Amino acid sequence: MSDSSDNDTGADPRRTLPDLDTSPIPLLEKVRKEGRVWDDLCEQYGVDNPNPPWKVYLDSTCEVLAEHNCALPLLERRWEEDELSEDIYMDVPFPERQLLALAHSMIRRGLMDEEELARRMEAVDRRLNSA
Amino acid sequence: MAEKHKPAPMVDEVSEFEILELAVRELAIEKGLFSADDHRRWAEYMETIGPAPAARLVAKAWVDPEFKKLAVADGIKASLEVGIDWINDMPSHFGTPSDYCNLRVLEDTPKLKHVVVCTLCSCYPRPILGQSPEWYRTPNYRRRIVRWPRQVLAEFGLQLPEDVEVRVEDSNQKSRFIVLPLRPEGTEGWSEEQLAEIVTRDCLIGVALPRADRKVDDKRPVHPAVKPVKHH
Repeated sequence: MSDSSDNDTGADPRRTLPDLDTSPIPLLEKVRKEGRVWDDLCEQYGVDNPNPPWKVYLDSTCEVLAEHNCALPLLERRWEEDELSEDIYMDVPFPERQLLALAHSMIRRGLMDEEELARRMEAVDRRLNSA
Repeated sequence: MAEKHKPAPMVDEVSEFEILELAVRELAIEKGLFSADDHRRWAEYMETIGPAPAARLVAKAWVDPEFKKLAVADGIKASLEVGIDWINDMPSHFGTPSDYCNLRVLEDTPKLKHVVVCTLCSCYPRPILGQSPEWYRTPNYRRRIVRWPRQVLAEFGLQLPEDVEVRVEDSNQKSRFIVLPLRPEGTEGWSEEQLAEIVTRDCLIGVALPRADRKVDDKRPVHPAVKPVKHH
């Protein structure tokens, strides 16, 4: 009997990638510490949806970032998500940690900077909470 | 007298995470990393996919030996018969970076059990099976299923006899997999529709076996955690 995998080459292609800077980013640390995760909101409001409504948009963002201009290749993003999920975002549930990891990767790769993201979050906050 | 309409409960609060998601998306669009329309088309597509087509494929293979041969030989062609076009259904119309167009249907036998993983990331046959469950993405599952498949399957509640070989198929940039499990006893004379109702997502990944007495939409018992984790 053999319990086997069909793709056990022993080589890990992620070793060829440059190291990701996994040091905390203050803006994302604030979200990590102060943001209310979906599980807590569901409990408070009596909702039983397994995922927050924004998850489908997050997944779509990950897909389209890997298309066309390929600003953030899918495998690299996933590996960075793994690394961050076992490190600074370990205590954050899914999919919130997927979101934090994506934002972290984008900032560290220079696709956006922390200050402009902070400004945009303030603007989005005002807009969504104005009604 | 007509019953009063009761609105479904909803989360009436905007979280920091919701704000972060939208802010990231808007900035990416402004910077030209992708367009709003591309993003919307992906979101629309994502909300249409699920495990039902794969369940229908398995049910059809159980009742139609010729279709089973086709499914095992050419999963992409067989998918067309359950309404899934791996190439043209995608918003990009050429597959996607994470959904390459080579679906392999892994046929279990009484002495061989298949289970699917992606050790590198979380490749998954999404066009026919929907979004992957969270546990499938975890390093815990990905690392351990290839080393100790029997033990990990036991953790899912699947105890296999020692004389059944476990074969772990590792998804990669070229191939996606679904499992064609054995048709369970007690389903003789069932229609395709009835059979499809007992083929759950976990059966298609290979961590569970279909049962005549358990349907996809059955209520599952919920066991509260002994020590629930509080995030805040």
